[in-house]
Amino acid sequence: MTVLLAFDLLLAASIVGLAAATLLMRDAFAMIVAFIVFGMLMALGWARLVAPDVALAEVAIGAGLSGALLLRTLAHLRGGSLSAQGGASVSAPANGATQGVNALLAGLATCALGLAYLGAPQNVPGLEAHVADAMPESGVTHPVTAVLLNFRAYDTLMEVVVLLAAVIVVWQVERGLAETPAPALGTVYQGFARVALPVAVIAGGYLLWIGAEAPGGAFQAGAVLGAVAVLGLLSRHVRPAPAHRPLARGAFVVGTAVFALVALGVAGAGRVAFEYPPAQAKTLILLIEAMVTISIAATLAALFHGRAPVAVSREETDR
Amino acid sequence: MTEATIYGLAGLAVFGLGLMGVLGAADRLRRLVALNLCAGGAAMVLVASSWRPPPAAPDPVPHALVITGIVVMVSATAVALALIRRLYSLETDTDA
Amino acid sequence: MPEFAPDPMTLAILLPLFGAIAAFLAPRAAPLIGLGAVGAMAAAIAAVGHAVAQAGTVTVPLGGWGAPLGIELRADGLALAMLGLTALIALAVGLGALSAFAGEAPADGQPMPRQRAFFWPLCLLLLTGMNGVYLSADLFNLYVMLEVISLAAVGLAVLGGTVAALRAGLAYMYASLLGALMVLLGVGFVYLQTGRLDFAGLAGAQGSPALSAAFALMLVGLALKAALFPLHFWLPEAHANATAPASALLSALVVKAGLYILLRLAEAGPFPGEAILTLLGVLGTGAVLWGGVQALRAERLKLLVAWSTVAQIGLIFVALARAGTEGLSDSWRAAALLILAHAVAKAGMFLAAGRIKDVIGHDRISELDRSAVRPALAQLAFALAAISLIGLPPSLGFIGKWSLMEGAMGAGNWHWIAVTMAGTLLSVAYFSRALTGFLRFDRVRAPLDEHRGWALADAPPVVLAGLAVGLGLAAGPILAVLDLGRPFGVTP
Repeated sequence: MTVLLAFDLLLAASIVGLAAATLLMRDAFAMIVAFIVFGMLMALGWARLVAPDVALAEVAIGAGLSGALLLRTLAHLRGGSLSAQGGASVSAPANGATQGVNALLAGLATCALGLAYLGAPQNVPGLEAHVADAMPESGVTHPVTAVLLNFRAYDTLMEVVVLLAAVIVVWQVERGLAETPAPALGTVYQGFARVALPVAVIAGGYLLWIGAEAPGGAFQAGAVLGAVAVLGLLSRHVRPAPAHRPLARGAFVVGTAVFALVALGVAGAGRVAFEYPPAQAKTLILLIEAMVTISIAATLAALFHGRAPVAVSREETDR
Repeated sequence: MTEATIYGLAGLAVFGLGLMGVLGAADRLRRLVALNLCAGGAAMVLVASSWRPPPAAPDPVPHALVITGIVVMVSATAVALALIRRLYSLETDTDA
Repeated sequence: MPEFAPDPMTLAILLPLFGAIAAFLAPRAAPLIGLGAVGAMAAAIAAVGHAVAQAGTVTVPLGGWGAPLGIELRADGLALAMLGLTALIALAVGLGALSAFAGEAPADGQPMPRQRAFFWPLCLLLLTGMNGVYLSADLFNLYVMLEVISLAAVGLAVLGGTVAALRAGLAYMYASLLGALMVLLGVGFVYLQTGRLDFAGLAGAQGSPALSAAFALMLVGLALKAALFPLHFWLPEAHANATAPASALLSALVVKAGLYILLRLAEAGPFPGEAILTLLGVLGTGAVLWGGVQALRAERLKLLVAWSTVAQIGLIFVALARAGTEGLSDSWRAAALLILAHAVAKAGMFLAAGRIKDVIGHDRISELDRSAVRPALAQLAFALAAISLIGLPPSLGFIGKWSLMEGAMGAGNWHWIAVTMAGTLLSVAYFSRALTGFLRFDRVRAPLDEHRGWALADAPPVVLAGLAVGLGLAAGPILAVLDLGRPFGVTP
């Protein structure tokens, strides 16, 4: 027990230390790497707190995809390379006095929050009893999936809407942007990608399937498939072209559309929206999950790629 | 001192560090990373609140909330990064 | 359980969402789809209104689980008034957007002009988020809805694509994100203390340090989103640099989401005591004065209008604080009236300012009187909206300010009356800067035939501004609607 306690203390200290290091790193590349490692350690902490679903999502999306997005942007700012020479440098904070005051205020607020946290009652019963009671009618056996896709399905629908909004805004913002030197993988990694892609696709499908009874589910599966697409983009196996645009639009919206249609479609005959008939609950949830997985994977890849696919010749005339 | 206390306090510390970063950093990218730290800290507090002493299983509701929060945060990050890239292109075009 | 299947509240949220999807898939048909979706949404809201008028408060337990396990939608008079307001403004702004974005017709095969292709999906997603906020009775759901709103709002704010708009949009994004994350941590503290996420769980909770921390976090986060002085820094540039229809939506609706949630938190209580309420009033005072002074100094018409939003938001906080915590069961009405009045007038004013800029080609206040062309209807709309924002009778703004001052007098809080007066004087001063520019066209001896004639685009600002003035006469029915279902639990 004491070994575990020491491990927890060490891990928590490392998480906080990495968060501080992230902010203190002078070089932006080092900052992003520190942030990714921070995310990995945080996921490890969540695994210690018996939250494997969250840990998976954090590794895949929070640390993994956010990190990839940050690195891709840094490469853009530095004209295609990740080294610090040339392009924009990440300047250190300039105004010492203001920063000091702000830091002091933030520190005081954090201390107050810490005291309030310590003053909070320990182990107030949450909603686990309600969840346990309702599990038999949920259509799935994994509690987190039941909460995400049934009890609080409305939240999850809106979360997919947030993703849709993000990709719409990104396409809008980057419309007509000149072709950026997109990072590419070297030959060794190309070979690796050729091996890794099919494995990852299978892993994503497995995660989706297993989500009904064990940690995993649409978001983790979508993230893995999204990572596949990102790898495909990096290794130039996938070259977005204008012809892909309708397909991409369809993939972005299919999760939201099917989810919302099912939510409305089950209403009636004494049932409200989102109230799946118990007999069809499992089928409907799997259908929603599959569609949402497609949308998440396509959206995450598109967020990484940035602008809508544009033909190179069109590009020249646009400018 | 339980796991929940340790990681909950660590989460608050991370949130506070992120807050300092948002308020203190001058660079766009760094402020965005600081916001991501805030999100991580808040998520950690939620996950810690779900923990129950061992034989009991943790409360699944905060887990679902955090997964939602992670997806929301990556969406917001992507939008902010698109703005940063576009701004950089426009600014370097006009400055040159 | 409602006899409708599916119920109108869910439809009010999901219909704009379907519209957004359709408009994204078929950009060419987007205006048609958009207006159709707004119309369908208005019909759903009318059905919600029918249900609320019958039953007072109506709830829908989504998924059939009911709180605290599931999420509930809840509508009462306050929510209904906000829904109706949103439908009205969406319709008017949508019509205004038809011509505002009609400028360059796309040649075949070319990509659609960016603004038109993306305005409608973003606008409809924004409506999804707004309606979701009004109807939500769950704290975490409110956080997700706030994020839907902020992403759509940032997209709208940067629609113009200029460097100034993008810079302001990024600052807006960061402020909005930080505010949302503070709300999220606050929700975490609530869950820590109560183990629930619904408003009902909050109402039954005992005060404790964790709950105080939760309220403090949510208060700061929402004040940041509502642009309460001194957390308003992101607003003027973001609203002034957006294209006119987007500015109208951002100023009329988006900032109100934070205010509305604050009202709901105050309703669910336990609201932090007298001192916090007074602090909100003091910050509101700061906003009224600082916003007024900055509006006096603004060089561009749209920036003036944006700073006046800062001042008016401050006034809404003063209205909330006017009679202390005991008076809160009445003060919310004054705040709600001012929210409605500001939204209608400001949407009209931003659309009018956009028209003026389109017609005369710039919006520099010092040169307004040197234009050869005269956008007379837009100027009329601007003046009418100014009447309501200044608070002259019989406008809706007057009713709101009157309600504010009446309550403050009743509680003997003369300082809030002084603040309101000062704000009114400042608004007279800054609006007359623009209005005198409109009236003095004699400097330029331009031939009258340069008048470009009336356009459909003039209709929405004139109608909105006319409503901002005329709705003051309907104050009785509006108050009756607000009191449906007895928000804040008090009989009128």
